[in-house]
Amino acid sequence: MDDAKGGASYAVHISPEDVQRFCEFLYRRTGLSFTEGKRYFIDRRLEDRIAATGSSSFQAYFSLLRADADHEIEHLINSFTVNETYFYREEHQLRCMTSSLLDVIASHKEPGGTVRIWSVPCSTGEEPYSIALWLMENWPQVDSYNIEIVGSDIDTRALKAAAEGIYGDRALMRLSPDLIDRYFRFVAEGRHQIDDGLRNSIEFTRVNLIDSRDMALHRDFDLIFCRNVLIYFDDASRRQAAENLYGCLRPGGYICLGHSESMSRISPLFRVARFPDAIVYQRPETDHG
Amino acid sequence: MPLVRGSKSPASAAQPAPLRAALDSPDAESRWIAARALSGDADAVPALAAALDREPVPRVREAIMTALMRVGNPASVEAMLPFLRSQDAGVRAAAIEALQAMPGAVAPFMAPLLSDGDADVRLLATELTRNMDASEATRLLCDLIEREQHPNVCAAAVDVLTEVGTPQALPALEKCAARFAATPFLPFAISVAIARISGAEG
Repeated sequence: MDDAKGGASYAVHISPEDVQRFCEFLYRRTGLSFTEGKRYFIDRRLEDRIAATGSSSFQAYFSLLRADADHEIEHLINSFTVNETYFYREEHQLRCMTSSLLDVIASHKEPGGTVRIWSVPCSTGEEPYSIALWLMENWPQVDSYNIEIVGSDIDTRALKAAAEGIYGDRALMRLSPDLIDRYFRFVAEGRHQIDDGLRNSIEFTRVNLIDSRDMALHRDFDLIFCRNVLIYFDDASRRQAAENLYGCLRPGGYICLGHSESMSRISPLFRVARFPDAIVYQRPETDHG
Repeated sequence: MPLVRGSKSPASAAQPAPLRAALDSPDAESRWIAARALSGDADAVPALAAALDREPVPRVREAIMTALMRVGNPASVEAMLPFLRSQDAGVRAAAIEALQAMPGAVAPFMAPLLSDGDADVRLLATELTRNMDASEATRLLCDLIEREQHPNVCAAAVDVLTEVGTPQALPALEKCAARFAATPFLPFAISVAIARISGAEG
């Protein structure tokens, strides 16, 4: 339901009360938080979705949204969030990884031990490769441990593209020319393939976050990046995914979510861990209870 | 090269055979693994329900509730309803969250829950209508606020109506405001609900 449907008038009036009602629902359902100060931003996107669904009024659209007809919640979230993925996205979490998290993780391991990091969902690979690049460039202890990076996604086409590791200029926009020079190979105008060494160091697997059996095959991670996917799930699936992710972490391991996501709103299993660069979630070292 | 390609992820997931029996294990980890593996298994509902009743460890209890929630049938709802009466707020909250995630299965239980003799149960039950179809939630909550004597239960219902109510709720809300005129917070909350539902500019 992405295209505007004929028949409805799109000069739909959206009152401040409508916006408040909508914002409260959006926050409860997804964790995305907007206030009156973002009124223009909200109105524009709401008007677009009202038009795209052919709804005759805000009330009609709101009913459709609550019922999640034709996956409208997914369309709405897409319109309110940045869907584009690129290298070094949400860089503060990468900084947190090397300035705080890995030092804590490494302190529990012998030199030469294995550190396992999981990017899920990894889409076309920008995130796991970003993790690898960032580590090579920013973690002084990178040579002291065996670092295993796994990238997983439910979409096998995305995984195939990830394994190929060829990206356009936009995906590399946050990387310096020097980094691109050192870690990518020019393949065609505006197309660059990531270094074979990095490509071969990352394992790509297919996984469904809410499938417990699938997830049970991915275990013993020290750090998981699971960003901007849980907001798309309904309550039941989110809860299932949180339990699965808990099971995939080593005790004491960390999970990084997207900036609008909060594990505290999903599951009591994890504890909040605040670091200078980011707030992340931790599987407790020992079970409570 | 510090980055190494991992061997295929260890495939040591616990496998089915004695899963239901494992719900009785003295080891919490084993019970947790069993509960997760039984998630969505309708045949396991009686075993999960029995395990939920005696489970002392919060994370295992959560996993059992999730497993029941993924089944989403009347038997799984019935297994969780008693926990709305728990003395432990964490347990009540967990039960509410799980039940809220299965609005279709919960629907047939709503009328008795909203008429329960315990005001706390009625209050919690209002929250279960939040994810239901708007017209059905409106009908159930309007029935409640038309007869409910406890202002806190009415307030909880009004809070849900503020988000999900349809214009059919307006007469019941107005009557409720009049009935509780001496309890100022409630008419105020109702005025907010009426404005939101009617989309009227304040």
